[in-house]
Amino acid sequence: MTKTLLELTVNGEDRSLAIEPYRSLLDVLREEAGLTGTKKGCDVGDCGACTVIVDGQPVNACLMLAVEAQGASVQTVEGLQPGPDELHPLQDAFMEHGASQCGFCTPGILIMAKHLLDQNPLPTDEEIRFGLSGNICRCTGYTKIFDAIRTAGRRMAAAKSQSVEA
Amino acid sequence: MTKQDFRIVGKSVKRQDVIEKVTGEGRYTGDYHLPGLLHGKIKRAEIAHARIKHIDVSKALAYPGVKAVLTHHDVPKVLHYGSPHPRSASCTKDQYILEDKVRFWGEGVAAVAAVSEEIADEALDLIEVEYEPLPAVLDIDAAQQPGAPLIHDVGPGGNLVIPPVHIERGDVEAGFAEADLILEGVFEGGRPVPTYMEPNVCVADWDGSGKLTFWTSTQTSFMVRGALAEVLDLPQNKVRVLVDHMGGGFGAKQDLFQHEFLCALLARQCRRPVKMEFTRKETFIAGRSRHPFRMWLKQGFRKDGTLTARDMKIVYESGAYGSHSPGVTNVGTASATSLYRCPNVRLDGRAVYTNTPIAGAYRGYGVVQTYFAIDIQIDEAAERLGIDPAQMRLLNAVREGDIAPSGHPIVGRGLEACISRGIEAFDWPGKRAAGRGDPANPAIRKGWGIGCEMHGSSAYPGIREQGNATVKMNEDGSVTLLTGAAGLGTGAHTALAQIVAEELGVTFESVSVVHGDTDVVPWDIGAFASHTTYLVGSAAKMAAADLRQRVLARAAERLQESPEHLAMVDGVITVQGKPGQTLTVAEAMGPSRGIPAEHLIANGTYMPTKSYSFAAHFVEVAVDTETGIIECRKVVPVHDVGRVIHPIAAQGQIEGGIQQGIGHTLTEDYIIDRSTGRSLNAGLVDYKMPLSMDMPDIDTIILEAAPDPGGPWGAKGVGEDPIIAIGPAIANAVHDAIGVRFHHYPITPEDVLNGLRQKQENA
Repeated sequence: MTKTLLELTVNGEDRSLAIEPYRSLLDVLREEAGLTGTKKGCDVGDCGACTVIVDGQPVNACLMLAVEAQGASVQTVEGLQPGPDELHPLQDAFMEHGASQCGFCTPGILIMAKHLLDQNPLPTDEEIRFGLSGNICRCTGYTKIFDAIRTAGRRMAAAKSQSVEA
Repeated sequence: MTKQDFRIVGKSVKRQDVIEKVTGEGRYTGDYHLPGLLHGKIKRAEIAHARIKHIDVSKALAYPGVKAVLTHHDVPKVLHYGSPHPRSASCTKDQYILEDKVRFWGEGVAAVAAVSEEIADEALDLIEVEYEPLPAVLDIDAAQQPGAPLIHDVGPGGNLVIPPVHIERGDVEAGFAEADLILEGVFEGGRPVPTYMEPNVCVADWDGSGKLTFWTSTQTSFMVRGALAEVLDLPQNKVRVLVDHMGGGFGAKQDLFQHEFLCALLARQCRRPVKMEFTRKETFIAGRSRHPFRMWLKQGFRKDGTLTARDMKIVYESGAYGSHSPGVTNVGTASATSLYRCPNVRLDGRAVYTNTPIAGAYRGYGVVQTYFAIDIQIDEAAERLGIDPAQMRLLNAVREGDIAPSGHPIVGRGLEACISRGIEAFDWPGKRAAGRGDPANPAIRKGWGIGCEMHGSSAYPGIREQGNATVKMNEDGSVTLLTGAAGLGTGAHTALAQIVAEELGVTFESVSVVHGDTDVVPWDIGAFASHTTYLVGSAAKMAAADLRQRVLARAAERLQESPEHLAMVDGVITVQGKPGQTLTVAEAMGPSRGIPAEHLIANGTYMPTKSYSFAAHFVEVAVDTETGIIECRKVVPVHDVGRVIHPIAAQGQIEGGIQQGIGHTLTEDYIIDRSTGRSLNAGLVDYKMPLSMDMPDIDTIILEAAPDPGGPWGAKGVGEDPIIAIGPAIANAVHDAIGVRFHHYPITPEDVLNGLRQKQENA
């Protein structure tokens, strides 16, 4: 099949990839862009393990054709770290609270939680629960994930108000 | 050692594997993309029971991009185990890689390797199979009918997987004669599936010397090695099994799966690496579920609540192959000797084949079923006798010196401690006295219930277990622990590193863990039976103790002191009474007068019997009498784990187990159409699990009430326990709310509405 040239930004980096037009964004990220952090748990949009942010919106990468991301800016779990030796507050909080067990759902949940906290760093418990309603975790019972998101949100809000004051 | 003496054990140190999980760097089996990789797919039967008359693969083979097609004509004809526990006496060899017979809808009948997944998928449709249908046996009643069609030629006959398990203690008839109250009931349970987030996946790669390298998501890498070597007729050192991060397993990833053999065979034939990855649907169809069951239970009680007799018959539905049925039947049946002490018991356990998907190992291993029934009937007895349900359990709780299901005496009074603590933390008396109504919504009825359990760490006596660990002291004083235990997400590797650091006297940060390579790490039985911390943790502690002696002996030489006068803490060796005189481990390991020191390696091998962990779960539910929906609102799980190594990881096990248990009890059931054998809900939307919106508040309490001398500093398992206690706790709470008893799971909204209607009609 004729390949299509896909040009997009992934985690801030411009990428040009020759791909078959029927491939999902998930498969292209994992197999062509070499970013295997995003996971395939169902490939039909039910589990949320493949959640990435496309132009500011969280999407299930398995349900999006890669060609639909032409010219888009995509963020995956590999792009969460603010710097090479620095972790995002969510990554820190997930480690601290034990919010990641097998870790297979973690990349998708981190991305969804980042989107949630970017909109609102101090979500209510109900908003956190609702925000994660499309992400399946089978190991943790979610309790520690909720704790980690609350902690990260508080720290992000504090950092933000500090930088505003400064 | 008292709690204050621990420097590392008992602290929630940073899990070593989690940094890779939060950055996306962690490699799972599906993340390996080798050059020249082919993709394998399995052709699955669309019939429940049939003989293959003819299979034509010519069109598939001719399809561009297809590299190989395998049918039963092309694979070694070796009868193998689904569950090849190498140290077990009870396994059932009843499976071929491919056969000219189909025993369940969805069984693999052929396999394809092609240059892409899409081409492999398309090629499956080009394989033509002609079936001679056979009468299908689709439930346990049909399977046990005299003259029922036999699904296997092997086994004791009558569609039994193994001869019935029979356990008898005391005099059951005399026990019933003494009873003031006799209760009898039939209990049933559906087919929950583990639904790990990472679908089964493997990659096979052969080198020029004829050695197979095999990445697979398994809890039991050495069993995979053994089975592949046997079936492929290779020495075990020509099979290297690798497993890095795993996306969950919950027991089910300790079977040997058809796709694992087929992947290796396709790669050998194509002389290229092959990857086989289940679709989510395949994890249902070709994965493993808990055993559906039916159990008849009769128990006798005195007026004061004490048990006089227990008579039980349980039938587990094994599905098309034996898999873990021997173990599940033995463990589940034996579990009914205990939990609530009873002097006279008669237990009969069976597993029967049906033409349905395979039931295997799943967290709670046969015990979920028996304790669901026993704990509901205890609740009924308390109600009938006018005894508080919590006091009823305290009265009958198994305790120190009682004989455990393994045949050993119980250590400590862990179950009583859990119940007592829960009564207080949950405010059980206050809850019992409160009204059942909800002022905010007149349709809601609230209720409170208790469920208890005990579960063994290790699979003894079914399997004579062996744990191994190797600990190496490197020249710079850093430490490497080698373990074969799989890291399926529990944090076990971190717990093992904590144990080594504590025992050895070095910092936690100085210990790194090497795992997941059968060519490198010591032999391991696999990560299952809630035993990694107990079994491998003990072996690691032994190895660390040995290494410590040798490090101190070396340091003593250097310091011209006697080793007994030396202490080692955080990697620094000090001399008793001589505060100035110290030596770091690195200095002790370094060259002496220019001569390199001998490298220090220590091994630990541990062969345990078994310890038992205990739990009591206190639950609040709200039942909507208009919709029938049961909401689990609050859980206070109290667990005795003997000694907690990593509190957050232990809590994580408990809370995750509760999540799965709530699902099993209320919404999860993988449904097989009982007229065709076809599955009806093999997907994550139709198979409904509790998600973020459904989880109750959980206030986890961990006790160190009954440390077991068999585990490191008394530590016992925790992985399986939570999923066992939560089910009966919910069923009992539902009864407390609406006065209707359910003897099955899942308890659906339809069941609730029917139950309420029936109650009204009977009133």
